[in-house]
Amino acid sequence: MSAGALSSPPRPWTRLGRWLGRLGINGRTAVILAPTLWLAIFFLIPLLVVFKIALSAFALGQPPYAPMFRWGADDSLSITLQFSNFLFILQDSLYANAYINSLRIAAISTALALLIAYPMAWFIARSDEKYRNLLLMLVILPFWTSFLLRVYAWMGFLGRNGIINNMLLGLGIIDQPITMLQTEGAVFIGIVYTYLPFMVLPLYTTLVKLDQSLIEASADLGARPFMTFLTVILPLSMPGVIAGSMLVFIPAIGEFVIPSLLGGADTLMIGRVLWDEFFANRDWPVASAVAIVMLVILVVPIMLMSRAQNAVVETEK
Amino acid sequence: MRRGYLIPMIAVLGFAFLYAPIASLVVFSFNENRLVTVWSGFSTRWYAALFNDSQIVDAAFLSLQIAAVSASIATVLGTLAGVALARLGRFRGKTALTGMASAPLVMPDVITGLSLLLLFVSMEALIGWPAGRGFTTITIAHSTFCMAYVTVVIRARLSDMDNSLDEAAMDLGATPLRVFFDITLPIISPALVSGWLLAFTLSLDDLVISSFVSGPGASTLPMVIFSKIRLGVSPDVNALATIIIGIVAIGVIAATMIGMRRPQKT
Amino acid sequence: MKKPQIAADTRPWRDPDAVPFVRIRNVTKTFGDVYAVDDVSLDIYKGELFCLLGGSGSGKSTLLRMLAGFETITKGTIEIDGQDMAQVPSYQRPVNMMFQSYALFPHMTVEANIAYGLKREGLPKGEIAERVAELLKLVRLESFGRRKPHQLSGGQRQRVALARSLARRPKLLLLDEPLGALDKKLREDTQYELVKIQEQLGVTFIVVTHDQEEAMTLSTRIGVMNDGKIAQIGEPQEIYEFPNSRFVAGFVGSVNIFEGVVTEDEDDHIRIDASAEAGCDIYVSHGVDCAPEQILWYAIRPEKMVLSRERPEGDANIVHGLVQDVAYLGDMSVFRILLDSGKRIHVSQTNVSRYDPEGISWDEKVYISWEADAGAVLTS
Repeated sequence: MSAGALSSPPRPWTRLGRWLGRLGINGRTAVILAPTLWLAIFFLIPLLVVFKIALSAFALGQPPYAPMFRWGADDSLSITLQFSNFLFILQDSLYANAYINSLRIAAISTALALLIAYPMAWFIARSDEKYRNLLLMLVILPFWTSFLLRVYAWMGFLGRNGIINNMLLGLGIIDQPITMLQTEGAVFIGIVYTYLPFMVLPLYTTLVKLDQSLIEASADLGARPFMTFLTVILPLSMPGVIAGSMLVFIPAIGEFVIPSLLGGADTLMIGRVLWDEFFANRDWPVASAVAIVMLVILVVPIMLMSRAQNAVVETEK
Repeated sequence: MRRGYLIPMIAVLGFAFLYAPIASLVVFSFNENRLVTVWSGFSTRWYAALFNDSQIVDAAFLSLQIAAVSASIATVLGTLAGVALARLGRFRGKTALTGMASAPLVMPDVITGLSLLLLFVSMEALIGWPAGRGFTTITIAHSTFCMAYVTVVIRARLSDMDNSLDEAAMDLGATPLRVFFDITLPIISPALVSGWLLAFTLSLDDLVISSFVSGPGASTLPMVIFSKIRLGVSPDVNALATIIIGIVAIGVIAATMIGMRRPQKT
Repeated sequence: MKKPQIAADTRPWRDPDAVPFVRIRNVTKTFGDVYAVDDVSLDIYKGELFCLLGGSGSGKSTLLRMLAGFETITKGTIEIDGQDMAQVPSYQRPVNMMFQSYALFPHMTVEANIAYGLKREGLPKGEIAERVAELLKLVRLESFGRRKPHQLSGGQRQRVALARSLARRPKLLLLDEPLGALDKKLREDTQYELVKIQEQLGVTFIVVTHDQEEAMTLSTRIGVMNDGKIAQIGEPQEIYEFPNSRFVAGFVGSVNIFEGVVTEDEDDHIRIDASAEAGCDIYVSHGVDCAPEQILWYAIRPEKMVLSRERPEGDANIVHGLVQDVAYLGDMSVFRILLDSGKRIHVSQTNVSRYDPEGISWDEKVYISWEADAGAVLTS
């Protein structure tokens, strides 16, 4: 096709296309290449760098780690791999405890969130169609306000001079303020509060698709409501349960803000340990090793989640 | 089925649980007392204090700039990734792109922050860029993790969109590039807006990643707030929270009204 | 054949010297291991309204999408107006398509939708406005130009889609289930309108449909597709009265099929022993390309059979059975009959009088007979 054959002059888009074509990049390749390159440079390579530094030795200086590759005096390349960082965090019970504690706190918070979110999701899914979107919006709305400030709000609630203590004292129920802030319980509340919308949404998605006639059929065949829930509703909403649980569990493991604002000094969580290792001890190699181990721990729940999410998407079709 | 009261009750308590802390933030921002949780009378003194605190005001401006720039970068890149994944069929490296585009969603902030900082340090040592850390590095970091969210939003919208719309335009003589600007882009524009807003909010909200990749003199709003509240509650933070909640509430109401005025499209 | 002879120029496919407008040669399309279209060859002539008829998964839509340029051809060639289409992208083909979903751009008005293709051609503004007005008139939507697609009814959207696809004056228009989304009443009205517009503009139409009635009403010729292959090509009457296989006979209309063995094979008639399935011989009053002892099938339409209480004259084409059920459909009644051989057949009778107390009813023993040229002999 020649430009002269057209009755009108070439349009800007045509010109842009031709210009890119001369560079050997057609539109299709450009669309694929731009995000791929960006993510390779700013997501994939950084993870490899973390891995590399986890295998380097700690050194005083800036940056605070020893180079891995070194040219010897005799022009030989020596590669120094330090597995000592991994050995160190495996041997020191502080790190093991932090990992176990993170998993435990994340698991308990996830279970609590599920117990609250399931009735909420059910309530929204079974309410009048007119109100469903409004209720759903009410669940999502807090997410749009600052996460940090929502955690902060609980500091005001749970503190020694906080709203709850003041109310209980004022009503004469207690005569000494209860210690609620800087406990593990406060961390549970913080995690459940912050991630509740992520639990409600996938549950709602599976529950709203659930055909009412299945419940009626189950009742018709003689199942009591609780039996219907156990044998019909729960199995069918399982993808939502798993997806929602993982959406709470995974970020909870790496959580830093909530344990450091609501938890006590003894509430060890791995995100906090990594932070301290990096900012307080300035030990970048150990911080990197901590990060790598955390990633390994997260692999299984992440795989579980992506499978469950695909199943949630399937039910939408 | 018998209508029980248990489920509605838990649901109502659930909503109360979601909103009570937010409500308390707002109420006590107008408290006259220095002790945040002891009411002693109505006052707007903490708002005045807030606007006179140049550290907070500067940090807010920095955060808004970073959020606007990185939301825009994230929207462009996320849209390209969404189009590539939803519309371009099979290509080499599709699995890699799918993985890389969704992994940031589940990556703990501490790891993202740490890894990007280590990258920036290594890059500076190797090629001298980025020199130092601050606005640029935070913006790159935020663009990267926000892009993953935009990709999800755009991809979902594109897979809802009738494939034959693109084909129809092509059938009527439009080149692929033309189809994208004439048909695809206008139809997914609501998703573009919500993707941008989501990215903007996430960027504005981020504490952990910013803390890792920022340098001296570049403190974002969450970083300033965090250093203030680490030591305990402080009434001017309540005032700040109220302003943010107000803006969000107005935004959501406006979006809902626009959404209601526009007739439903298929 | 008993068909009336029409001048050859209106039926170019009967003229061996006519040059086809669309030439599909040995076209195959595979998706992985699946053959969506399997070695299809087809000629379509200028001004035709050709229907590709088939069930879902028969490959008809894939064939249409290859004509439009949305699918690449795995093997074979497609020529339109003498030009090979292999290297021509969809946006440069002299072809337009009307989509099953209509694919109207939701963010553009009706006018902008229709003008879209003209703008891509770079026509001057005045000319575009003129063409759009013309097309709106053609589909009787003059006052709807400023509306958005979601403000239109289904039938109106269908007409906008048609106008849009005609705007560039394509030489060939592809229609994917053009009436599929309309309800029955509207569909019938629209069918005639579509034919009228096609005749008025002289554009060649290729229509994909799964609805045999629609194909019969609309088309000059029908290509019946099955499993990616063309099962039969022919005029509607040919397809209905002279099917070439049990598949085509059964797919288009309803049919009774008897299996039998050839006992007499003469130039002017054949005789089939169908005692196992029909309980009688079948006499066919014309020669058939077959051999004695060959197994073949006799297909006869329900309306070609006659019911009687008394045994008719003759030694062939008479079967006996019990009326099990009568379905009254208004214009006709369909009798479900269990033959003595154990086979079930359908026979239909036009309801000539409004009420017939003497009419054959259920639980009656009846004879069923037919003319010697009423059915089709099938070898596959």
